[in-house]
Amino acid sequence: MDYRKFVEMIPVGKWEVFSDKLVDFILTSKNDEKMPSQLANTILHHWQHGVLKSESGLVALLQAALLLEPDKTINAFSELQMANIAEQIRESLES
Amino acid sequence: MVKFGIEFVPREPYWKIIYYAIQAEEGGFGNLWITDHFNNRNVYVTLAAAAIHTNKITFGPGVTNPYLVNPVFTAQAIATLNELAPNRVVLGMGAGDKTTLESVGVEMQKPLTAVQEAVEIFRKIASGEGVVYEGEVFKVAGAKFLFKPKGRIPVYVGAQGPKMLELAGKIGDGVLINACHPKDVEYAVNSVKAGIGQAGKKLDEVDVAAYTSFSVHEDLKKATKATVPVVSFIVAGSPSLLLERHGIDIKKAEEIREALKANDWGRAFGAVTSEMIAAFSVCGTPEMCIERIALLLKSGISQFVVGSPIGSNVREAINIISEKIIPHFQT
Repeated sequence: MDYRKFVEMIPVGKWEVFSDKLVDFILTSKNDEKMPSQLANTILHHWQHGVLKSESGLVALLQAALLLEPDKTINAFSELQMANIAEQIRESLES
Repeated sequence: MVKFGIEFVPREPYWKIIYYAIQAEEGGFGNLWITDHFNNRNVYVTLAAAAIHTNKITFGPGVTNPYLVNPVFTAQAIATLNELAPNRVVLGMGAGDKTTLESVGVEMQKPLTAVQEAVEIFRKIASGEGVVYEGEVFKVAGAKFLFKPKGRIPVYVGAQGPKMLELAGKIGDGVLINACHPKDVEYAVNSVKAGIGQAGKKLDEVDVAAYTSFSVHEDLKKATKATVPVVSFIVAGSPSLLLERHGIDIKKAEEIREALKANDWGRAFGAVTSEMIAAFSVCGTPEMCIERIALLLKSGISQFVVGSPIGSNVREAINIISEKIIPHFQT
């Protein structure tokens, strides 16, 4: 899946609130075993350097959130009036 | 000024703990403590990740014990961590948990002597000395590192009973007091002061920390719900004398003990009373927690450690502590 393509479709004004939601999904998820360590390290690196809400940070968060909590993540797009992105991600996951 | 510490149990994967550690560092916490139990993930691997992903927070095992990990190996791990994050590493050493030790067939023999000897051996070998030691519990026959350790690493002694508290004051650079209630902390600090006096040190030379079970939320019910399981285990493991000191019904405590043994969580958690929560946790809204911490500070502690569960949502709880509680004590 081209996670960067989806992040580029998110309006910059929604990056902060969206990244906040994704972090919450990831940290409260019970599907810890689905997190690849390399991706976890990328997220921690961005968090440590204060750039988790940047484009590359969001790409890592989106990838992790879709691995750990796909339904919640797709619903979050819809809740934040980004139903078109939600639909495209759903199609991408099904294909 | 009081320092704030935070404790994590590496039952959680390293990436969650390190996320929270970075958040805590940003939020004004000065100390990070990682528990050491063989049935969780390894403390030193977790601390190594913390060393790499944090910049200024002081950290260490809170606490390790000398029965499962020989003090020579503890010194090796700590000295190596101190190369990863110079001058940010401390050692937390205690006697360990009897039940956990028994589950791996290790007897907790002479805990006071074991801790005292372990700290001596640690300090010698961690300073680069070759060690020949003939103790009652530990013997070392000329062990020496093949690398040069950096600096002097402070040792915190974890303690609960009066004799261990006194020893902790006497030999420790810091003391980790396992208590939450002002009465217990005051009692503990007095024992620590006795040890500090015996060693001819001053109180401000020793960092005295209250290592608490903590739960904060804007909604009291949510804070309480998060702390009940932790309190049930504390009550089950507490001696009758301590329970009586807090006016806790011994029969109720026994009921919790039996329910936990039977894995009947509903019955165990349902038997936890408000008196038990008040005695064995710092729990409530931010305002309630501030009030309790202020009372604990009057006992003479210099570090307040926020321990498990921290809150129903750890990330939210760290934000509350960073935004409302720590600033209250920095003004």
